[in-house]
Amino acid sequence: MFVMASGPAPYIYLCTRMRVRKSKLIQRDEYFRMLNMSLPEITRVIEETAYKKEIDELGSNFKGIDLIEVALSWNLAKEYQKILEITPGTLKQFTSSYLRRWDIQNVLNILRGKMQGEKAGKIKEILIPAGTLDRVTLDRLVAEDTIDQIIDALKGHRMYPVLLEKIEEAKETGSFSKIENELYRQFYADIIDEAESGIKGGKLFLSFIKFDIDIKNIKTLFRLRADSFEEDPHEMFITGGSLTVDDFVRLNAIKDLVEFINALKMIVHQKNLLVFLDELKSEKKVRDIEVRLTSVQLDQMEWMSKLHPFSIHPILVYLEKKKYEVFNLRALARGKESKLSPDKITKYLVM
Amino acid sequence: MADLVSNVTAVGMSVEAIKATQIGMKALAAAIAISTTAFAAAWAEMAIGSAAVGATAENKDVFGLVLLLTVIPETIVIFGLVVALLLIFS
Repeated sequence: MFVMASGPAPYIYLCTRMRVRKSKLIQRDEYFRMLNMSLPEITRVIEETAYKKEIDELGSNFKGIDLIEVALSWNLAKEYQKILEITPGTLKQFTSSYLRRWDIQNVLNILRGKMQGEKAGKIKEILIPAGTLDRVTLDRLVAEDTIDQIIDALKGHRMYPVLLEKIEEAKETGSFSKIENELYRQFYADIIDEAESGIKGGKLFLSFIKFDIDIKNIKTLFRLRADSFEEDPHEMFITGGSLTVDDFVRLNAIKDLVEFINALKMIVHQKNLLVFLDELKSEKKVRDIEVRLTSVQLDQMEWMSKLHPFSIHPILVYLEKKKYEVFNLRALARGKESKLSPDKITKYLVM
Repeated sequence: MADLVSNVTAVGMSVEAIKATQIGMKALAAAIAISTTAFAAAWAEMAIGSAAVGATAENKDVFGLVLLLTVIPETIVIFGLVVALLLIFS
């Protein structure tokens, strides 16, 4: 039987493993090199990295972009499950809670896919079983015929009450955005409760989550500014970060960009975020702002992980960086498939 | 005269006692020197060793390097040993 030693040794062991794994992720200059390659060349380069096993396994069943998509998803899910296996004590609990966000993404992908009449195989390609819902459960959900049957199959899961309450409205409007907001609000409320429950290391986990919520709220604010139709900001706001709901509504009401940025700078304190806001003097596309904000978030998280080298931070930073590596490779492959110019693809990469 | 003899006897006994105390104190100091440095070396090796195993689990090529890094804190306990030997044999 495997017995976990007490004291700091397991934390040091795991955080070192995470750092080594992080150092093996694809670097910025490698992405630039891939921008000038064709899709088969990109597949070959990916095959030489951590994705070799998946590419080899799936090579006989999938080709081209589908092969890359499925291999990336499989690798990400496998990597996350592996990390959960080797994570000790309370770190495991926090990591597992943090990965529950994939349940939301997977269920929403299934619901959206079913709503749009996508084939089961196509839906399965984009699922990443990294949360509490494993591949077998997700396959069972995908196999259901109707949305109501999918919701029924989730009876007993923590998402069920929200799904049951909001599904009729979603079916009427054809949009799952309200369910998505509600599920994320519930997710963040749950993990904040967990972090504040007095478990050792909870404070550091909380600081990470709070910053994550702040970035999510700021992204929402920029999206709301870009939207032509009015949405209720109260429904979009996620509680738990530095911003209060009043701040959020007030910021949303400011139309002038400079005034908006100045007001935002009064609320946020993170150095990286302040530098980003200083640089943002002219209106940019929401997509560009979101990509830049994600980079800022990763930089800040990296800084936090250096400040607390043997805590939950190095694990969460690696989880996030791995996720964006997969997103980047997917964007690269999709961009190449759609014959987009390298300049255009670069705008979608988080580096 | 009887007082003088009794004083000399008293001084003689206290010199022996002082000598014995000195030897005892030296032994105690040597024990402290070796035990504290041994604990410090163990603590440092625990941290470095955990990180070394973690690094080797991810990349086997670093085994030789991390093995060297893991034993570097042994120098702490060697310093302790030297101090202890100096105390005992000086």
